[in-house]
Amino acid sequence: MDKMIYVAMTGARATLKAQSVVSHNVANVSTTGFRALQHTLQSAPIPGSGFQSRINTVGRADSWNANTGALINTGRELDVAIQGDGWLAVQTEDGGEAYTRAGNLRVTAAGMLETATGHLVLGNGGPISLPAYQKIEFGKDGQISIVPQGQKPDTIAQVDRLKLVNPPSADLVSAGSGLFRTTDGDALADPNVRLNSGQLEESNVNPAQALVEMIEISRHYEAQIRAMHTAEENDQAASRLMRVSG
Amino acid sequence: MDALWIAKTGLDAQQTRMSMVSNNLANVNTMGFKRDRAVFEDLLYQNISQTGAATSEDTQDPSGLNVGTGVRIVATEKNFLQGTIVETGNPLDVLVEGRGFFQILLPDGGQAYTRNGSFKIDSDGRVVTANGYELQPALSIPDGVESVTVAADGTVQAKLPGQTDLATLGSIQIADFINPAGLQPRGQNLYLESAASGTPQLGTPGLDGLGSLVQGSLEGSNVNVVEELVNMIQTQRAYEMNSKAIATGDQMLQYLNNNL
Repeated sequence: MDKMIYVAMTGARATLKAQSVVSHNVANVSTTGFRALQHTLQSAPIPGSGFQSRINTVGRADSWNANTGALINTGRELDVAIQGDGWLAVQTEDGGEAYTRAGNLRVTAAGMLETATGHLVLGNGGPISLPAYQKIEFGKDGQISIVPQGQKPDTIAQVDRLKLVNPPSADLVSAGSGLFRTTDGDALADPNVRLNSGQLEESNVNPAQALVEMIEISRHYEAQIRAMHTAEENDQAASRLMRVSG
Repeated sequence: MDALWIAKTGLDAQQTRMSMVSNNLANVNTMGFKRDRAVFEDLLYQNISQTGAATSEDTQDPSGLNVGTGVRIVATEKNFLQGTIVETGNPLDVLVEGRGFFQILLPDGGQAYTRNGSFKIDSDGRVVTANGYELQPALSIPDGVESVTVAADGTVQAKLPGQTDLATLGSIQIADFINPAGLQPRGQNLYLESAASGTPQLGTPGLDGLGSLVQGSLEGSNVNVVEELVNMIQTQRAYEMNSKAIATGDQMLQYLNNNL
């Protein structure tokens, strides 16, 4: 059979994967601090003798949209949102470092500050441990101040400072649970990252764009199937020619 | 066909969020109710081709293929912001202004905690919740008292007939937790201690950062109706979008089946 059907098949397979990427983005339209994945298609020619017609398609998706999602006011004192570029550093299960934009924090029974997905938030020197407090405030630069339990409101204690980083987005790969990892070692704290407390950042998935992508992929897919159909017809025509009539 | 299953995770998550919004709205008039919020997280990524893998000795693949697998609701979070203050004038309605929970004895002997301070008196004179569960430390009000006063620090005094001085009946102690959001909600406005909440720190109202008591008032629900309605619209639209993704995936497969 003509190689054409295989070329069209790679196109159909890659568009199907692209549809999964869009579905994933749409599923995460309400996930705090989510970053939309971007899919791209690349041509992968197969060199050989004769006219080079076998140019297959390979799907790519590991870049993500670095736009900031909308900030919404929640009024909760443990909610923080990064303004513009930057990330909160958290500790992963294996003791490594990962970065997140999802700032819905909470305090464990042992007084450790963690994210809603259960990852410890990192400060200047490792995970942040809070003494018993009446009131907690996050400064613009991530400085944490508290009114210790049983103290007057004028007794403010500085506890630690959130580790805020700003590595180039090309170095970050998404790892699920709202976390991103760097490809080349831990990022250094950046004093220029700013955060707002009492706010959360919504997912940066653009619903209109996602729906248009979905339609586009769907039509693209149909075109590939059409090409496969044509290849089949060509093949049938060829076998009809070979048939001895009578 | 993973696009269908990925979109299904979205439908599931939005459905759960909708239940949470409904529960919040249903409890808009429940005294001492604290609203819930759903926390979403993206599921693991399938690493189909690795970024940075060598394409030759000197060159690297600049981009890989990582396809996500959808979303799930990882937690529900109670928001313990103070609810609105409702003045009732009823002497046994008590409000905690600030941090702290009333301690309640469950019929099975266990301990529960509540923010709903609308107390009643049972036939034995004991101070109980609307469900008849006893307040701890136990407090009883003798027959025929003329008035009951609850002070800001929890001291309960009563004026007995024929006496000029107030008699002290006892005092209300409240409990605080390092992580109130980790308490296990039990229904009936009650919460149970959990491993995440930490152990209760008992104390006198108004001291050590605990809230003080206000007699004749109750704490209303902290549900913000406008916010919940906006959440409801957002949830519905997100649900529709996910079902659109399923329909599109279905059409693609249908086209494949019909045309080959």
